[in-house]
Amino acid sequence: MDNSLIMTGLVNVLSFTNVALVIGGTLLGLFVGAMPGLSATMALALLLPLTFSMEPASGLSMLAALYVGASYGGSIAAILLRTPGTPSAAATVLDGFPLSQQGKAGQALGVSLFASFFGGLLSGVALLTAAPLLGVMVLKFGPVELFAIAVLGITIIGSLSQGSVISGLLSGALGLLLSTVGMDLITGTPRMTFGNINLFSGIEFTVALIGLFSIPQALLLIEKAHGTQKVASRITDRLIPRLSELRHLMPNILRSSGIGIVTGLIPGTGGDTASWFAYNEAKRFARDKSRFGKGDLAGVAAPEAANNAVVGGALIPTIALGIPGSSSTAILLGALMVQGILPGPNLLTDYGDVTYTLIWAVIMANIGLLVVGLMFTRMCVAVTRIPDSFVACAIITLCVIGAFAINNSLFEVGLMLGFGLFGYWMQKAGISPAPMVIGLILGPVMETSFQQSMLIGQGRMGIFLDSPIAVVLLCIAALSILQATPLFRWLRTAVGGRRQTQR
Amino acid sequence: MIKRGATATVLVSGMLVAGLAQAEYSAGDEIKVLQGFKAGGGSDTLAQLTQPFLSEALGVDFVNEYLPGATGAIAWTRLAKQSQADGTVISITNTPMLMTNYIMNDAISYSVDEMTPIANVVTDPGIIVVPADSPYETVEDFLAAAEASPGTITVGNSGVGGDDFFSTILIEQATGLSFQKVPFQGDGPSATAAMGGQVDASFNNLGNVYGHIEAGSLRALAVFSAERLEMLADVPTMTEKGVEVVAGSSRGYSAPADIPEEAREQLIAAFESLKNNEEFQQTARDRALNLDIRTGDDYQQMIKDMETQYEQIWEEVKDQVNE
Repeated sequence: MDNSLIMTGLVNVLSFTNVALVIGGTLLGLFVGAMPGLSATMALALLLPLTFSMEPASGLSMLAALYVGASYGGSIAAILLRTPGTPSAAATVLDGFPLSQQGKAGQALGVSLFASFFGGLLSGVALLTAAPLLGVMVLKFGPVELFAIAVLGITIIGSLSQGSVISGLLSGALGLLLSTVGMDLITGTPRMTFGNINLFSGIEFTVALIGLFSIPQALLLIEKAHGTQKVASRITDRLIPRLSELRHLMPNILRSSGIGIVTGLIPGTGGDTASWFAYNEAKRFARDKSRFGKGDLAGVAAPEAANNAVVGGALIPTIALGIPGSSSTAILLGALMVQGILPGPNLLTDYGDVTYTLIWAVIMANIGLLVVGLMFTRMCVAVTRIPDSFVACAIITLCVIGAFAINNSLFEVGLMLGFGLFGYWMQKAGISPAPMVIGLILGPVMETSFQQSMLIGQGRMGIFLDSPIAVVLLCIAALSILQATPLFRWLRTAVGGRRQTQR
Repeated sequence: MIKRGATATVLVSGMLVAGLAQAEYSAGDEIKVLQGFKAGGGSDTLAQLTQPFLSEALGVDFVNEYLPGATGAIAWTRLAKQSQADGTVISITNTPMLMTNYIMNDAISYSVDEMTPIANVVTDPGIIVVPADSPYETVEDFLAAAEASPGTITVGNSGVGGDDFFSTILIEQATGLSFQKVPFQGDGPSATAAMGGQVDASFNNLGNVYGHIEAGSLRALAVFSAERLEMLADVPTMTEKGVEVVAGSSRGYSAPADIPEEAREQLIAAFESLKNNEEFQQTARDRALNLDIRTGDDYQQMIKDMETQYEQIWEEVKDQVNE
């Protein structure tokens, strides 16, 4: 590795203009991230043309900052309003919103911000030091391995089912079923589209997400609008987490960052998947699992550290191999192409000055995030003092705008409202929407990679046992399923003699 | 996105107001461009390249409207059925996707007869790439291996209905060989699978894999262009090897059917002027876009020829795909 290039990159980023652009980009990212339906990818695509006339370092700094900012911004609405601003923040809702209801919104947002910062910073460091090393790993993940990852991801449903396992599985299965809507990858045949071409590319995941979480929340707020006085968060003093708290969360944050980096670097999986994996592992490693879902800070720190770590992770294959790890990095790659750089494995060597600039921009953006985030978040917490009926109307308005913005079509708005009513019913029936969301995220990945594996393996199921990576992942999946059955509890009691409290 | 004015030279985005209007476009001072794919994708790249120059030539503003979904069919249905045919609405049309959409799906109801093809701008020729450590050094090796074990050589493509899928079938038909076709979600993942050795080869497009070929992580065996490419002078064409296949992915612009003749001619003239625009040519080269400007009747002919060709292919292979 050429050290002079690394320094050139650093110097490129550290100019007054670029620092200003990083702050501007982060702010814009925070805003975009906090709005349901507006995603980092969308903002990057729209901002990209503006960078054509900029210096490479300036343009890249701004885009990287936007990407980083949006990855954190999603958690703001997730915690305060139970409306995940980005798909990656869906897992944050589970514990973030209960905290907010307990009047601890500031604390939750503070933890989310610091976890995001550490996750992002760690992934930036990984990017700077180990990109070529980790990049090679990416090529080992083909359809067979991706299928194993998806299967492992699906097992999370088992541990997420709060209350009844049956209703959790029902919700997950429904998600998987809905994920099959659209054109079949192998034959091009439309399935369950009812001849409506708006459904040919499947149900837009974000549309379902907005509907399932946000609309029920808005309706519930309206129901209770004239009832009890809400708990206003008084957090001005608690936005910055205590040191002891951070120390306590650190192992969780480190583990989640690791998960985020690895999930990010595998093309085909991103922040939406990583945050669920991290949440699940945080729960698995926790001593007291019963607090998860009721407002555990670990349940906020894990997904947020992971989804920001995805930023650096997804950039690893992008710069090491010229393969974008996510749709957002595909657009960053486009930004490099406009600067006359053709994507390929020579980004770090032939175009090192620009590439290292990008890496430093990511690291700088995380520092910018911490500073800008503290101020921005303080403002956002004011939301908790607004009367519920106004908040409810604002949520519905934002949902409609967000759903429309995805494809610029009213069809998505209708679909979102449909999901909203269904989500409201689920809420009343005590069925958690979280497993359904996982089904929707992983269903397409699992189906596509299974079909591809079958084509590559000439229809031989044994192909999944040929790959060591896939075997290990599938074994972990099998263990996870076992862990969720009464058999495992019985085994533990028999072997360890430690009584498991009935949940 | 916000429309912004800019002074003189700084061309920032595809929907810019040009500083100097040289001609007056008869249909109005604003043209809406329907894009069938998300912002930031390949169609958008074309828009960002072309529209600042067109804007100058026509003295109009371009406003992009992104209507992604159903591989472009939502935008193209809107263009054909629900747009004013007065020259104020056009769309970026990707071939062969434009035709294969409705050839393969009865539920998609537009056809190219309901459009006025204006101009093709870029063509990204098809190419066969294999992993750097592949046993196939030449295209002959590759075809010989397919002959020795029919239907087992795995070939990645960008998805059913895409140009790579059809070029694989074209080659199968021309040679009588058969491959195991593995669809991916786009050119990128198909190329990545070849790099990782998960598939034996990927039928791809030059623009997507050029960087990887240069860097040696993929090896190019043959291109599907009529003549050898300047960028890859030592890679043979399929035609040279006696396989008459010329295919690629093209992007251009079309308007609804029956737009006023004057508007059509002005649009065509604007695209014609790009042929001699040195700055435009240079920008295209910088972004690795392979220009292939064909306007008016030539573009219409190109589309009609492709439509006939792909209808035939689909008629022959649809049962095999849907089995």
